[in-house]
Amino acid sequence: MADLDVGPSGRRDRGNRSRGSNNHNFNRPPKRPRPDDSYMDDGYNERGQSQHDRRHRGTAVNARLQRMLVNIAGSTKLPQDEAMDIARQFGEHFDDEAVKTEFFDHLVQLIIEQPFRIPHVAAVAFYANDDKPEITAEAIKRVAGRTQEMLNAGQWKEFKLLLRFFACIQSLLEGDGVFFLLDQLFDTVVDLQSANENDVVGLELVKIILLTIPYALVSGGSSFYGKASELLEKTSIVATNRLPMETLVELYVSDSPEKPIPYHSALGLLQTQLEKEAESGWNFACIPRFPKYIPRKIDDDQPMPSAPRLHALPTIRIPSPVNPGPKLLFPEAYFSLYTDHELETVPKTTDVASSLLRDAIVDTINQLDGNRDEAARILVQLSNYWALDTFAPSGTPPDKLEEVAKDQKIPPGSTLWKSEDMIIDAIFSQLFKLPGPEHKLVYYHTLITQSCKFAPAAIAPSLGRAIRFIYKSIDVMDLELVNRFCDWFSHHLSNFEFRWRWAEWIEDLDRSNLHPKKAFIIAALDKEIRLSFAKRIRSTVPVEYHSLIPEAMDEDRSPDFKYDNPLTPFAQEAQTLLTLIKKRVPEKDIQETIDKIHEQAIGLDFKDVLVPSTDVFVTAICRLGSKSLSHVLSCIERGKERLLNIANTSPAARRQIVASVVEYWKDQPGIAINIVDKLLNYQILAPSTVIEWALGDYLGAGEALTEGWVFEMVANTVAKVSGRIHQIVTARLQKGLPAEQIQLVEATLTKDRESSRALFKLIEDSVSAVAQGSANHLIEKETNGELSAEDGQLIRDWAKRWQTVFIRKSQVEESVVGEEAVDAKIRLLAAEPEPEPEPESTSMHEGNGFAEHKVNGEEEMV
Amino acid sequence: MPPVRSTVERMDKPSSYASSKKRRRYRDDDASRVSPEVEDKLKDATTLYVGNLSFYTTEEQIHELFSKCGEIKRLVMGLDRFQKTPCGFCFVEYYSHQDALDCMKYIGGTKLDERVVRTDLDEGFVEGRQYGRGKSGGQVRDEYRQEYDPGRGGFGRALNDDYGERDDYR
Repeated sequence: MADLDVGPSGRRDRGNRSRGSNNHNFNRPPKRPRPDDSYMDDGYNERGQSQHDRRHRGTAVNARLQRMLVNIAGSTKLPQDEAMDIARQFGEHFDDEAVKTEFFDHLVQLIIEQPFRIPHVAAVAFYANDDKPEITAEAIKRVAGRTQEMLNAGQWKEFKLLLRFFACIQSLLEGDGVFFLLDQLFDTVVDLQSANENDVVGLELVKIILLTIPYALVSGGSSFYGKASELLEKTSIVATNRLPMETLVELYVSDSPEKPIPYHSALGLLQTQLEKEAESGWNFACIPRFPKYIPRKIDDDQPMPSAPRLHALPTIRIPSPVNPGPKLLFPEAYFSLYTDHELETVPKTTDVASSLLRDAIVDTINQLDGNRDEAARILVQLSNYWALDTFAPSGTPPDKLEEVAKDQKIPPGSTLWKSEDMIIDAIFSQLFKLPGPEHKLVYYHTLITQSCKFAPAAIAPSLGRAIRFIYKSIDVMDLELVNRFCDWFSHHLSNFEFRWRWAEWIEDLDRSNLHPKKAFIIAALDKEIRLSFAKRIRSTVPVEYHSLIPEAMDEDRSPDFKYDNPLTPFAQEAQTLLTLIKKRVPEKDIQETIDKIHEQAIGLDFKDVLVPSTDVFVTAICRLGSKSLSHVLSCIERGKERLLNIANTSPAARRQIVASVVEYWKDQPGIAINIVDKLLNYQILAPSTVIEWALGDYLGAGEALTEGWVFEMVANTVAKVSGRIHQIVTARLQKGLPAEQIQLVEATLTKDRESSRALFKLIEDSVSAVAQGSANHLIEKETNGELSAEDGQLIRDWAKRWQTVFIRKSQVEESVVGEEAVDAKIRLLAAEPEPEPEPESTSMHEGNGFAEHKVNGEEEMV
Repeated sequence: MPPVRSTVERMDKPSSYASSKKRRRYRDDDASRVSPEVEDKLKDATTLYVGNLSFYTTEEQIHELFSKCGEIKRLVMGLDRFQKTPCGFCFVEYYSHQDALDCMKYIGGTKLDERVVRTDLDEGFVEGRQYGRGKSGGQVRDEYRQEYDPGRGGFGRALNDDYGERDDYR
């Protein structure tokens, strides 16, 4: 125990050294000199000194190699020089087990996390093969291991990325190399597709096959063209087949002539693009090339190196049955904001580069959600990672592309795509992905914000073009996407001083409030105000918009209490009730006042006297709780028993609760939505009550369907119900659940599933009546001229868009929690081997070296 | 197998503030490292401390932004100990740990009410922690602040106080 008698300096030293090995920050220059670079052993431990030296050298090498690897292609150096350099330096330390382990760990991780760099990582293995084929062999072995794991787990994206590594070293693989595996994958597709006509796993596999071929051909060269063509012939039927459920993922109203981009199935598009690429000689110009052989320093008496050593692709077993994986698979639509416009700023939809680049950018985005700064940084360097002459210089305006090309003598035939457009395009493809993207929508918001911060001059103009493009066709966009767009737009502006050229949209203010563009403006302003405040938002828009922001909101005070006006029926009782609730009097005193209201209400010919008394009671609660959400919650809690009673007694009074909240907060619907949400949590309101009110009492002739907040309220309510069922399904899918528990969970599941279906039916019945023009109020108002024919048509179109959204949501739910879906998951669960003991590390610990901290002396220090 | 380290640093790590006091004693210790015990406490954390808010930012605004990461279970505004008015911080509690992590990744460091807000994983709200601990009732950082900040009451109220923002809510 030599450590025991060391002084403070020695102990500090320990801490320092271990930091060096445990706390790398690979992508940024270290703030302080790295201890492993400057470390001088102070000799406190004679016995261990040489050992320490060696270990220290090891960590320094480790750190350097990892830094080089994870930063490959990130600088102005030639990627092939970097790859060769890494291969050489790593070769020199290949006998050091620690260096080896860490290096390959990083190599595999880099493939999964930073897809842009896969060709470059593969290039390291490729060049290493010349002098030290052991490196290549080991890399292949390590990547293959991970590939098998991901395949077993149904982690398709990771599987695809790892496979790409093999594709990139196709020229070093024996026999058919990666094509052997692709053939096997296709056999699996055939099995899956013949077993189930709505199979989506097979589609995913075909996508993986098609996205692997280009990289394999670039590396493998012309000898594999035949293999590729063969495969492509086989995948055609699957890839170009249109599934009925594809209608659900369309971004625009499918039969509208106004949609700005036709529907493309991402898979179908990829298939035809590849077929086209085959005709023009499998060029794949955007994929970076690594020269086959760079002569090294060769001594005269050394023979020229012979053909490269080839490696066998390790056997990768496709499990049967195939694990569909944890994520919900859906056919994908290909969407672009900029494609096929007059000026070609992104690849045409006929060009395979559009799919290749999109795939890599989207994966980068989704894999790096752990650090949006790094994600944005890598994205804005997009052009670094692809073949030279793919992109125009950063920030070139679309109309200057030709000019700049001439000025800078960019060789003819090069493409001049704008990397900014491609980044924004890819982020929006996720923001607008149906039924939903991989991460929470706010991630994509924040990624756009971050990209704007890194490259404002380049990104901002692209973003402006994107907004205009979307706004122009917002009338025919899927309604859920309109709401996502509105949410993003307001959130984005809130990060940039609410700056937007509102003047551009002024003429749309003359339109009817029922018009989708006007409705969007109203909703967007509301959302901006929610994140800020009315006065501030008014100061950011032209005067023409001011009438859309009620003056009453400027003052920092609560909304009016309608019973302050003595002419309002029950005004006196309402005032009394307000005082009583404030004083926290016993229930029976409150009941006295309520009874008074009931007595009068009978005289006033109310069908249900509980309705006016509920209005008074709930409005009073809103008034008393108007200061903040916490205030209203505490008022609701005090009145909870009464509210529950009301809700259980009369359906009309139940709906009145929602009506009163919304009426009180009519200028700030966001607050009403929040309160209704809490009332659902207290189970004072049932989800069906909210729908019955919003799409019944409040529907009118269908005008309600045009209001963004109504959609939000309904969608939130549906999401809450779905979320609960998902939890129940998760509970059911726990391994080793006792029989009686299973019974209990399944009973709940059956019940909730039924009420969820009833909820969707309620929505469908209500909106379809409007869509078909058979809703009574709509007919009435159209007949008596209250609604113009034009407005009537607008409302019907809104209703159709509502219908599409909720049919989709209902079908998505069926595919997650429907009987068939759950049964399939239960069967898969039963087929799984018994779980191994829980590994010590959880996702929380990943990425910060948690496990190592324990051994580095931290505990002794504190 | 040891946990695989990410090639980029993650933003949803528990930050260093929970061990800030310890760190102040050991200044040579690495600032970005969190001790295992702290990390253990935060491994299921559903609460976030949110700092650098304007005094005028309301619960509703916070709700609007933070619910983009998941349903909010509870929101506790930080108050001036004496005046019981907002003093520029709050606690946001989610139902799930993942939502709290996502909030670190997607909302921390972005703007609310035109100020960059800071988020940190927190082991959970305890009654009493909603009050500022500065001498005059607000957060300590507002006692010593030398720059004028209109969103946080102008200049610092007492410049020669102890220092360390974290004391406010510990």
